[in-house]
Amino acid sequence: MANNKKTPSKAIGRFFKGIGGFFAEFGTAVSKGDIFTKLSLIWMGAGYARHKQFIKAAIMTVLEAAVILFSILFASQYVPKFGTLGTVQAEMIFDPVTMKNIMNDYDNSFKILLYSLICFVVWIAFFFVWIKNTINSYKIQVKADKGEHINTFIEDIRMYKDEKFHITLLTLPVLGIVIFTVIPILLLILVAFTNYDQNHMPPSSLFSWVGLSNFVKLFGGGGMTSTFGYSFVRILGWTLLWAFFATFTTYIGGILLSLLINNKRTKLPKLWRTLFVVTIAVPQFVSLLLVRNFFANGGIVNTFCKAIGLTGWLRDIGLISTSYIPFLSAPGWAHVMIILINIWIGVPYQMLIATGVLMNLPADQIESARIDGARPRQIFAKITMPYMLFITGPTLITDFVKNINNFNVIYLLTEGVYTTTNQALANSQAKEVDLLVTWLFRLTQDYYNYKMASAIGIVVFIICAVFTLVAFNKMIKGDREETFQ
Amino acid sequence: MKKKGLKTFFHNLLIAVLAIIWLIPIVWLLFTSFSSYDGINTSSFFPEEWSIKHYVQLFQPDTVAQFPRWFLNTFVIACCTCVISTMFILMVAYATSVMRFKARKPLMNVAVILNLFPGMLSMIAVYFVLKMFNLTNNHLGLIMVYSASSGLGYLIAKGFFDTVPRALCEAAKIDGCSESKIFFKMILPLSRPIIVYTVISSFLVPWMDFVYAKIILNAGISSKYTVAIGLYRMLDKSLINQYFTLFCAAGIVISIPISALFVLMQKFYVEGVTGGAVKG
Repeated sequence: MANNKKTPSKAIGRFFKGIGGFFAEFGTAVSKGDIFTKLSLIWMGAGYARHKQFIKAAIMTVLEAAVILFSILFASQYVPKFGTLGTVQAEMIFDPVTMKNIMNDYDNSFKILLYSLICFVVWIAFFFVWIKNTINSYKIQVKADKGEHINTFIEDIRMYKDEKFHITLLTLPVLGIVIFTVIPILLLILVAFTNYDQNHMPPSSLFSWVGLSNFVKLFGGGGMTSTFGYSFVRILGWTLLWAFFATFTTYIGGILLSLLINNKRTKLPKLWRTLFVVTIAVPQFVSLLLVRNFFANGGIVNTFCKAIGLTGWLRDIGLISTSYIPFLSAPGWAHVMIILINIWIGVPYQMLIATGVLMNLPADQIESARIDGARPRQIFAKITMPYMLFITGPTLITDFVKNINNFNVIYLLTEGVYTTTNQALANSQAKEVDLLVTWLFRLTQDYYNYKMASAIGIVVFIICAVFTLVAFNKMIKGDREETFQ
Repeated sequence: MKKKGLKTFFHNLLIAVLAIIWLIPIVWLLFTSFSSYDGINTSSFFPEEWSIKHYVQLFQPDTVAQFPRWFLNTFVIACCTCVISTMFILMVAYATSVMRFKARKPLMNVAVILNLFPGMLSMIAVYFVLKMFNLTNNHLGLIMVYSASSGLGYLIAKGFFDTVPRALCEAAKIDGCSESKIFFKMILPLSRPIIVYTVISSFLVPWMDFVYAKIILNAGISSKYTVAIGLYRMLDKSLINQYFTLFCAAGIVISIPISALFVLMQKFYVEGVTGGAVKG
């Protein structure tokens, strides 16, 4: 993030300043431009053609024509219906010409939503190209007036290998991100304000805008029968609790383990490190599915616990009422087990990172502390930990956010194993062990409840964003990006 | 002196005990894969009868388990993803790290925000878009899903490029080097560790991923599965008693190359991450 920017508000200010500057430039171009610059507001190639940049003029003309054609042929079918998301229900009608029943010319709400969105994105992009084009025309005009050299097409192209190389580099990746991340996110933000669910599935039926009612339902409204509010609070609570424990247990565990292994007394530290890394090198879908069977109700751990009498003892003191220990199938037990299993796969990761950092500990400081008579514990508390926190503090936050969205651990450990007995949760397709993301996943994959899933997704985003912004502002003092360049 | 020796002994014992706890499930995986019994052995840790027949069975596909096919699918997807992602990541990292242009910081801030959205959220919409273009249950669609947005994961590579001294680039520029020349002739040859890291990590994405493949390959066509989905399917309630040992064998076979790559990668990972952070 920016060097001269310590608060997001400043960044936003700068952002708008930048946009303002862009439009101011446009204003100057329009007011001070000659007739060709002004003409390029309508015919985008005009300015270039005037100054003999014919290839550029042709490219802009073709682009303009393409966007106009796109608007007439494609956008006009969908954008006008964006306000209602379609009105014509799909049904069979009798066609007097062929004497057969055929589908009518129905509206597909989802297509209308998606294609309208794509049209908006194209138009906004084109709008900026259009403004930029006018500015460029004006720039060329100014250059020509001063009698400066005007670039030929070849020279323009060559700029993309040099001053404008960043454009060459960024075009494809940004395009990929726009198509596969930005548009989908915008699409689902829109879906959160519709009633797109199992009863409103295109193409057979329509869905429409419903305003904020999904969010009202999620935050406890929506009538007596809706349990989404209850489930949301339960699951949000567990999500935050999980993210907190998952982050801190693995973080502390990782540091302790790396200290243990990097200790002078340890024989063969490399061997031990590799042994721990092996557990995370096995893909999670293998290791987690395996562990889930390891701790299954009729699994091997239960057999073992029964054999040594642990199961009987737990039943005697009233902790369980079944003939097995419900490691992953009862609330409470499952919650603890999930966090423990997460320690199993998370600690080696953190150990790797901590090892890297510890190797760079300021050795002279530790040495002088030792000479001054500091005990190992004091050195740990006063030098090692602060240093670790300083370096890895930001990753602690990203880890927390990642854990809020930690789909794999929860899904692979509990899907198909854990069934809830809580009727209120079951009514909204939730379970006690769900995170917001696994709930969202189940709502879409098994119940086609896209409207609620989208609303949950937006809430997850807001939570993550708030944590990140607050934490980053507190922890990162200035930017270190350029200090060592 | 004797006390010190005892301390060392207990210290190493502690590590050994921890390592054993950590390795128990993996060892169980290994032993079970050599069992001659098809389902889960719930009565003892070690198999009652040893055999390698499930390893043989892996390469004799049936309608459910088509391991060679899945392996090939995943391999092809991984190779394509690897090439595209590596290019995207290095391109974005260079542009944001070495070059200076107006939109740089706004773009980086947007990337931070986009990274906060749960990937699953956009995936569900991507599924619809792909479905409209008939790209679901299709490997091309999956490759696009893995690699299209990979530019967002540029931060580690950027952190590495940041450590390349600026003066070097400036000197080259004064000597008349174009930006593209600096990128290809100077920065890339200097960045071998981070290139290796990026190549391996993007190659591993399709091998490690579960959820995206599950969303895209949802039609239940076994011959199109990736390894992750195939193995998950084998543990279906109706199949687990027939295929559990096969699952373990497949898990071992798949884990060996992945672990090797992973161990190789983590060396570069630690180098890359701490190299970037510590010097600050």
